[in-house]
Amino acid sequence: MGDFFSNLSLGFGVALSLQNLGLAFLGCLVGTLIGVLPGVGPIATIAMLLPITFGLDPVGALIMLAGIYYGAQYGGSTTAILVNIPGEATSVVTALDGHQMARQGRAGVALGIAAIGSFFAGTVATLVIAALGAPLTKLALIFGPAEYFSLMVMGLVFAVVLARGSILKAIAMILVGVLLSTVGTDLETGQERMTFGLSFLSDGIDFAVLAMGIFGIAEVMRNLDNTEARDIVHKAIGRLLPNKEDFKQSYASVIRGTVIGSILGILPGNGAVLGPFASYTVEKKLAKDPRRFGRGAIEGVAGPESANNAGAQTSFIPLLTLGIPPNAVMALMVGAMTIHGIVPGPQVMTRNPNLFWGMIASMWVGNLMLLVINLPMVGMWVRLLKVPYRLMFPAILMFCAIGIYSINSLPTDVMFIALFGLVGYLLIKLGFEPAPMLLGFVLGKLMEENLRRALIISRGSLATFIERPVSAGLLAVALVLLVLALLPSIRKGRDEVFTE
Amino acid sequence: MPTSHERSSPERRWSIRAPQNFAGGISLIALAALALWLMSDLPRGTLRSMGPAMLPDWLAIGVGLAGLALVASSFKPGEALERWSLRGVFFILLAIVGFAVTIRPFALGPIAIPGLGLAVAGPLAIIVSGFATPEARLRELVILALGLTPFCMLLFGDLLNLPIPIFPQSLTGLFPADWSQKAVLRATAALMIVGAAAVFFLGRGHKADQVDVAVQGGRG
Repeated sequence: MGDFFSNLSLGFGVALSLQNLGLAFLGCLVGTLIGVLPGVGPIATIAMLLPITFGLDPVGALIMLAGIYYGAQYGGSTTAILVNIPGEATSVVTALDGHQMARQGRAGVALGIAAIGSFFAGTVATLVIAALGAPLTKLALIFGPAEYFSLMVMGLVFAVVLARGSILKAIAMILVGVLLSTVGTDLETGQERMTFGLSFLSDGIDFAVLAMGIFGIAEVMRNLDNTEARDIVHKAIGRLLPNKEDFKQSYASVIRGTVIGSILGILPGNGAVLGPFASYTVEKKLAKDPRRFGRGAIEGVAGPESANNAGAQTSFIPLLTLGIPPNAVMALMVGAMTIHGIVPGPQVMTRNPNLFWGMIASMWVGNLMLLVINLPMVGMWVRLLKVPYRLMFPAILMFCAIGIYSINSLPTDVMFIALFGLVGYLLIKLGFEPAPMLLGFVLGKLMEENLRRALIISRGSLATFIERPVSAGLLAVALVLLVLALLPSIRKGRDEVFTE
Repeated sequence: MPTSHERSSPERRWSIRAPQNFAGGISLIALAALALWLMSDLPRGTLRSMGPAMLPDWLAIGVGLAGLALVASSFKPGEALERWSLRGVFFILLAIVGFAVTIRPFALGPIAIPGLGLAVAGPLAIIVSGFATPEARLRELVILALGLTPFCMLLFGDLLNLPIPIFPQSLTGLFPADWSQKAVLRATAALMIVGAAAVFFLGRGHKADQVDVAVQGGRG
């Protein structure tokens, strides 16, 4: 317990320095600014803004990136509420009731409760990370290559189960993702794989390039198909602070959302995505009058938004303790850490305690800043959202091109975002969801490395994965999940959760 | 371009009734075949010491099997292919590739493009991509391009010091030799902003002459 407080105070000592406060503020601000653009989710925003953190020291850079992440997420919710265009999967749910509230002239209250709920969730999640961080790092010590491999398999199975639409297509996407990650020089033997003899492919495909193409460029192409179906609220924003009645209606939802989101966020395999859906379903089940949902029920904004933010934060846990990025955003964080010479994993906490605890403390600071900057600036975001899309997308496109060029100064990277943009667009058109592919790509290299090591240790016997108890347990969980997802009755329930 | 297949009549049992799954399955099989072909000259090794090709080959086989399953499932009723717009995709790809080849000196076989820097590549990307929508208006795009590019130049080149080429190399002689890189950058940015303002105010007078591009562009 004493450790808990001394660690947190060390963290706050780092996060509250004037420079880091400034960086957190700037991160939140630009993150919201880009994230508020329709069709630009947190992944594209972070990939775009990654270069602006290059010149900073590692602690400052990660604090700013975390700020950008929260800002982008809150910006996405703002767009979902005001324009009914969710920037990413997790704000789909917010758009349901949030946009209806906006049409009833209660946009301000919706934005207000989203910010307050997120802040509460963020505070709880920060404490959860601080409390679980140290014990989970110890867990990492008993993990060998076989356990790591099985954990990642479980993560990928989660991603399959959580993906929308056909399970077969989700599995195919995971396999394609892992396959893409094997492009480039084989680390063990030094032989080039699937590079077509092109020198810029010998380092493999850059994750930021893939993410930017699939989530930035493809999204622009897709939005161009549904021309200007935007539905901006022309009503007044109304008062921002929820009143007593609103609080009474929503405080329980905020607490439930926080709990659901925190737990799901820790799961590998993008569990954070499920948080808002689960929270919405729970709120609807518990409500006295479920018909209010979809017509501007404040609980339908408060719960999912809290779950979303809690999950966004607790998804740092697998990354910081085990070194496994549980979703695409965390994979970008890995990229940023690597650029600054930090290898994510259990050793971060012991070797760079300043960085580890400073980042955790700055998560709370970032949440507070969002509350402080966003509420007064809502008017500005509304004005930004009134810019027609025909002017917005060329700007988005140029930001993407400049952003990706500045990471490695390679024109080929820019061409590759075009290629992956096209691939992403075709995937959407063929009914494949790109998110599992990205996760497969993220985990692919780590998986191959650990598979090889495990097999060398076991002298080529695949039985090692079942003989080691922790590994066997993880694989069993994965198998049960997969079987459950394939059962017809559960499948129906899963479809219901996602179509709501 | 709109590729929505007709739903086949129920009596034709062996026709494709889920074109989306069929096309998806075929693409997966093609991808798997490509990967297997590319990996064909690399050793697989044994489980005890895995070669470079072992995992990719397994994965490619998995992808191919998923593709086969999808093709098989396309004989059951399913979703049709969505319509897509070639116009949007074409202009956006063109704009990005245009940016990539003009930002730095680029040579591919007989084609060689001198490095034109952000001052040219930025506006080019904005204006070309703008035409991805049939509602494009040239004057608007020019103002946007001339207004946004200097902002990015100042942000990335001046404030953040990122090594991004700003200015066409051949034109550096136009500025006094004792000007620093940053001074040139700022002068160019200022010039572009003045240009944007000029287009904005001059264009206001004779709006009637404006060619409305929207009239020509059909829906993709």
